[in-house]
Amino acid sequence: MSAKITQLSNGVEGVFIKNDRFNTTSISFNFYVPLSSDTVAEYALLPFVMTTCSAGYPDFSALNFKLAKLYGANLSASAEKVGDYQLLKIAISTIDDRFALDDESLCDSAVEMLTQLIFEPKAENGAFCEDDVQREKRKAIEHIRGDLAQKRVYAKKRLIEEMYKGEAYGLPKCGTEEQVEKITGKSLYAAWQQLLSSAFLRINVISRSMPQGLFDKISQKFDALTRDNIPDCTSSTPTPAVKTPNTVIEKMDVAQGKLCMGFSSELYGDDSKTAALTVMCDIFGGGPYSRLFTNVREKYSLCYYCASSSVKAKGLITVDSGIEKENATKAEKEILNQLDMIKQNLFTDEEFESSIKSITDSFKSYNDSQGLLDAWYSLKIVKDRLLFPEEAAEDILKVTRNDVVYAARGVKLHTVYKLLPNDKEGEN
Amino acid sequence: MKKQIFEGFGEESYVKAVLDNGLEIYIMEKPQYSSSYAIYGTHYGSIDTKFSKNGSEMITVPEGIAHYLEHKLFEGEDGDAFSKYAKTGASANAFTSFDRTCYLFSCSDNFYENLDILLSFVQSPYFTKENVEKEQGIIGQEIRMYDDNPGWRVMFNLLKGMYHNHPVRIDIAGTVESIAQIDADLLYKCYETFYNPANMFICLVGNIDTDKTLKQIESSIIDREPVEITRGEFDEPQTIVKPYVEQRLAVNTPMFCLGFKQKINSPYRRLKSKVCVDLLLQLICGDASPLYARLMNEGLINDDFDSEYFNGNGYAAVIFEGESCDPERVANEIKAEINRLREEGVSKKLFSAVKCAMYGDMVRRFNSVENLTMSLTECAINDYSLFDEIKMVKSVSYDDVMKRFDIFDDENAVLSVIKPLED
Repeated sequence: MSAKITQLSNGVEGVFIKNDRFNTTSISFNFYVPLSSDTVAEYALLPFVMTTCSAGYPDFSALNFKLAKLYGANLSASAEKVGDYQLLKIAISTIDDRFALDDESLCDSAVEMLTQLIFEPKAENGAFCEDDVQREKRKAIEHIRGDLAQKRVYAKKRLIEEMYKGEAYGLPKCGTEEQVEKITGKSLYAAWQQLLSSAFLRINVISRSMPQGLFDKISQKFDALTRDNIPDCTSSTPTPAVKTPNTVIEKMDVAQGKLCMGFSSELYGDDSKTAALTVMCDIFGGGPYSRLFTNVREKYSLCYYCASSSVKAKGLITVDSGIEKENATKAEKEILNQLDMIKQNLFTDEEFESSIKSITDSFKSYNDSQGLLDAWYSLKIVKDRLLFPEEAAEDILKVTRNDVVYAARGVKLHTVYKLLPNDKEGEN
Repeated sequence: MKKQIFEGFGEESYVKAVLDNGLEIYIMEKPQYSSSYAIYGTHYGSIDTKFSKNGSEMITVPEGIAHYLEHKLFEGEDGDAFSKYAKTGASANAFTSFDRTCYLFSCSDNFYENLDILLSFVQSPYFTKENVEKEQGIIGQEIRMYDDNPGWRVMFNLLKGMYHNHPVRIDIAGTVESIAQIDADLLYKCYETFYNPANMFICLVGNIDTDKTLKQIESSIIDREPVEITRGEFDEPQTIVKPYVEQRLAVNTPMFCLGFKQKINSPYRRLKSKVCVDLLLQLICGDASPLYARLMNEGLINDDFDSEYFNGNGYAAVIFEGESCDPERVANEIKAEINRLREEGVSKKLFSAVKCAMYGDMVRRFNSVENLTMSLTECAINDYSLFDEIKMVKSVSYDDVMKRFDIFDDENAVLSVIKPLED
């Protein structure tokens, strides 16, 4: 196992993660652009249009047929928020040539296909094909509307919207329905040109051996473009503390309620600086040994699930739980009480040790999964170098109880969002 | 102990050992990996609501009891299993499905210590009046969470539309009313029947030593007399209950499940049938098929569209599911395409491509200790080897697959739809 970073062009990095464990080669293109309401929807739609057709594969049946012939090569697209940036990913994974039932180079074909999808889209006169754009727009809108069907996802999304009103981070990761509606073949083509000329790009290759010529080919493609205004996506603006936390209540025809709470943290930044926040958040609501699980769920039966997570780049901690309506206030108080106990150093050594062990144990398993490795090297961007999972585990081992208390004391309630069942007749 | 080594794909191999008390152990060493994955399971799931032990009288237990037992087993007389795993850093969980209950952990460090915890708590039931009653609140909340989950509801509404009597039609966690009937005595009755070594299996994959692991298991397993379990038969007609089921929930786009109930004469499907039907589904509506392209281009489906061959003890059906602005039209298009392909045949080029894709998926499975452990669990439940499937995919013919069109009968089709709430 080793990982090496190579500068391929201005703002283009190649990361080769050599790993002998897998039967497959995975290649991902990770484009990072600043989150902005003017571009969020177009950028989010691009990976999906780009992975359904290209000049060489004019429709997705032809493309999917080719992927099936390549032993079910896995082509995927996604759009995520990473701090104040949007991460647009296009990835392919194929089984290694040694498993092919005849003598063909699957890896070469996969590289060829991926570079064609990215650099040679199906377009005419400066516009993507309208049929393809309309189909992907319709799917994107259904996807945005689909959040309502998953109440846990919906409630967390609403919390973030409320916390970051009017800010880039408050934007939905794929934009709003209205923003998607406005996209045309022409505007999307312009976004594609902008993406190639100004996005920061990291290409992750996870394989036994480096596909021959891949990085050279990518260098040449990007050297031929004029690339400027490349964002430095290693830092985001932190979440400011508020004096009076805001509470938002929404009612809906549901059986069970959701309670989501958002907190600002004074400790923020990339993973190399925030190990104490990681441990604090894990003691608070990480695993089944955490304070939220053992108290709010098990001891007081106030919810079916109750967990915390963090977005360290933004200095953001969230708690989400599934609650009965009558327990909403009690659960909220108890969650705050558990945070308070960490602030007052009233957690046990066992809880502290359990968190350290659980986090380091899971970091050690990253090298066993191509998916986790790809996510690691695309989400953990530290300036001018690579951060390795082993190194992050070492950082966790250095965290002390005092560091945890210090991290917790910088955590302040910002917004409470409750999704509650409609009042029954006769109820107030 | 009887030991057998299975090989059949590159350098991959695993050991199957059967202890004298009937416990089956599957171990696959992956020395180049950092982590390991373990499952301790029993052939006991939500459908086992009627049974007899050693020829005694057949008893009927409340719906949802297998899942309830899973929750309660974590709690021992000397504390709960999660707090023991917390000391080792493992990530632990459990799940109950229609035909099995599995307790699992994954870890990078302390594998043998974690295995001890797993072996110990699964063999040490501790049910009291108080701790059984306390669980009703948490499980009740879990049931209510599923009531709000349209993906879950659309599936169970379909099963209720297809099955008259078979307990596959019942939610895995049961209902708030059914779980209220569960007490410690009933839990012990189920435990003593289904948690007997002869009805159980252990699957382990990762950076582990086979001999050392087998010794540890052998010395930790409490010997119990093998039991003879007779599972109740459910008088399930070959026909469906009703062709259309609808519910309204807070969703924006309608969701659907279209099921074709298969007429079956024996409780289980063979591996060859499963592989052939999986291939057939790719030919009918996989993402390289003409139907998929048409439905997608006409705005009738999105990336959530999927299909599966759903089968187990006494039930079998093909299910198509997804989101659509017009579920009835999608259902009609699928039925028409099946009838067209049945008459005209399927493209042989597409057949060879989907076979390649399925072979690739199986190669991919060997990447992950978790996927391998889950696959070994399937081997334990269905009594085939991990390599049989890959051989089967290579060997099935076009004609083998074409014969499977028999399972589709429009008379036995059920459409389940979740529509948005009315204003």
